[in-house]
Amino acid sequence: MPKISRRKALSAAAGLGAMALPLRAMAATAAYNIAGLADYSGPFADIMKPVIAGRDAIIKWWSTEVGAGLGVALQAKNYDTRYDAAQSASLWPGIRSELNPICSLGVGSVDATALADRYAEAKVVSIQSGATATNSWVPDSWVLYYRATYAHETAPFFGWIYEKEGRKTPIKVAVISSEAAPAFVDMAKGIQAVAAQLGQIQVVELIWDAVQPVDLTSQVRRIVSAGAEYIVIQTNTAAVVAAKRALQALNAKIPIVTTSHNGMLASGKAVGGVAQMEGDFEVHSMVMPTDDAPQKKLYDLLKSKYGLNQPWGVLAAQGMSQGALAVRGIEAAVRKFGPADLSGDKIRTAMLSTPLEGRDGMLPTVTFDRSAPFPTSGLTANVATIKGGAYTVAARDLPVPNLKKW
Amino acid sequence: MRQLPSGVFASTYLQDAALIRTGKQWLALGVLLAAVALVPIVLGPRYANIGNNMFILAVVVTGLQLTLGYAGQVNLAQAAFMGVGAFTAASLANHWALPFIVILPAAGLAAALFGLLFGLAAVRIKGFYMALTTITAQFVFHFAVINLPASWFGAANGLKVPPAQLFGLSFSSDVGLYYLNGVVAAGMIAFALGIARSRFGRAFVAVRDDDVAAGMVGINVVQIKALAFMVGTFYAGVGGALWAYYIRFVGAEQFTLFNSIWMIAMLIVGGMGSIVGGLFGVVVIAGLQELVTSLGPQLAELAPELGGQIVFASMNVLLGLLIALFLILEPKGLMHRWQLIKFSLRIWPFPH
Repeated sequence: MPKISRRKALSAAAGLGAMALPLRAMAATAAYNIAGLADYSGPFADIMKPVIAGRDAIIKWWSTEVGAGLGVALQAKNYDTRYDAAQSASLWPGIRSELNPICSLGVGSVDATALADRYAEAKVVSIQSGATATNSWVPDSWVLYYRATYAHETAPFFGWIYEKEGRKTPIKVAVISSEAAPAFVDMAKGIQAVAAQLGQIQVVELIWDAVQPVDLTSQVRRIVSAGAEYIVIQTNTAAVVAAKRALQALNAKIPIVTTSHNGMLASGKAVGGVAQMEGDFEVHSMVMPTDDAPQKKLYDLLKSKYGLNQPWGVLAAQGMSQGALAVRGIEAAVRKFGPADLSGDKIRTAMLSTPLEGRDGMLPTVTFDRSAPFPTSGLTANVATIKGGAYTVAARDLPVPNLKKW
Repeated sequence: MRQLPSGVFASTYLQDAALIRTGKQWLALGVLLAAVALVPIVLGPRYANIGNNMFILAVVVTGLQLTLGYAGQVNLAQAAFMGVGAFTAASLANHWALPFIVILPAAGLAAALFGLLFGLAAVRIKGFYMALTTITAQFVFHFAVINLPASWFGAANGLKVPPAQLFGLSFSSDVGLYYLNGVVAAGMIAFALGIARSRFGRAFVAVRDDDVAAGMVGINVVQIKALAFMVGTFYAGVGGALWAYYIRFVGAEQFTLFNSIWMIAMLIVGGMGSIVGGLFGVVVIAGLQELVTSLGPQLAELAPELGGQIVFASMNVLLGLLIALFLILEPKGLMHRWQLIKFSLRIWPFPH
């Protein structure tokens, strides 16, 4: 056996140690927390489960399949805000002391507005799950959205119809909404703003009714008389059902244009079958959850390996999209600043300075800037319809235009 | 009638009118105030925010106690009156950058003027009719905020609120607001205790018990009913201003009929016709709401086999059940039970 001097042995050990250092650094994983806000016992409790399951599964998937390679592990914990401003504000200090989160996943405008200043003070970026409400449309926000306003999403649909039909005159549109909630007023005002700013549509009738209207026959008669070609309803399924029944009673065929939360499948179920929604439209920036959608593969993976135990649908897609924007932001920050000492500030800086792309496929590549809380370029809208009694995609990736705030 | 410990007698009118009569009562109050002051230091800002919520509710519910509990005037729109105060505060802070000390009474006055409209209605109607009339306040508030020019109250978008400014200090932290809200709440409660013991308080009770008889003994019933509404809604307006500074954003959806009903539930649980009873109700109901929202996620995490939806649905049922149990077992409220316990201790070991 060859004899090794003590000096050589020490040098070899020092060399091996030096080689191992970067390996150890690479193997060390930085763990970060994400605070998930939820509404488990408030007005949206019934739809919360698929949304939360979708976003939690995306975070687990990213942590395992992307984050591990980057040296980052994410852990999410959910808190019940009851969709209440006071409860959201009350919970926030506890969330900070318990988790020290780098990112928060919100439910909607109630927690977004109640916590907007608190996020900025704590330098925690928040990613919201729904479309942007105009009261959150402020520059330099710490609350970011993967969807612009409902009006932003509806505009490309009418642009698409306008081009497809080779129109020279504006499309006549009626809007049914409610003054019972400020968010619903905002939706209607948004459509009016689209008409004023883009000129492709003309709002010929605006109906304010109850949140859950029972009968809209006389109102829809006014819409028919005004010569409306489309009826935009973005409030809820109850309004879609009432409008559909009124159209049937009046023997009028005017397509209804809905959004994500009152889309074809939900409204079809409420009205007694999707076949009754033949020729109506669902328009939003999220994935249309058809079985042939490319994103279904990711859903299947999340279902089989990452505990997503909710059905493929618009709500699961909503949670997955929210989670997707969050992990894209975190990934951009890791690539820009490294995995160590990641913070909400770094994530926000990366999100506002880097086009956000990811292997999730849930969102297009989007770019944020400081002027708005939603992507100012790259956003697209998708259109689904009922054709031959089946839920089908009518148009994909229609570019969302820029609108001035109303 | 207040029961005093044996040997404590009032020999002057001032002593007779005093709220705190014994050294032990002063000691208890001191311990309570010290404990409240130490909450943010010992328990942290999470509990400070629970306290913030309770202080604001305490002001608003004390106002409701004066209107409903003392004067017997049904008011199902206290949240709307609170909203008037909140929007007034937000508008004044945004447009004129007025200091907190000016905005607070201005918010109260705006709500009181709005409340006066309904107080005048109370002159001619009462009971269910009055309840329905006040519900209209809830809707008038909502539609007014949404339809008035956006430059006034932000319309559907609501208004952001800058931090409260007082004597050169900016109250932007939750702990800072805790002390500010605590001081305001303490002042408002002390004022309410004063009103309750004054001739106005006695007139409120007389009108509540029998307004015809009250009129016959010389009480100006019209004035007292209007005053009860004005005072109660002034409290709501002040609470609304505190809310605006706490949340830092006001929107019409924050002040709903549902919130008004919760405030009445606080009165029922705590005890009608007692300022301290209303405070008991605030602590119990707001505490239960906090418990439910904290317990739900923990239970769902500890016992995932139960399924999240069952756990969270159970939490809501539990909250409703507890309130129902209070109503069945102690319809006069917790304050009544507390008085019975105190009385029993004072006459112990004698049965009565």
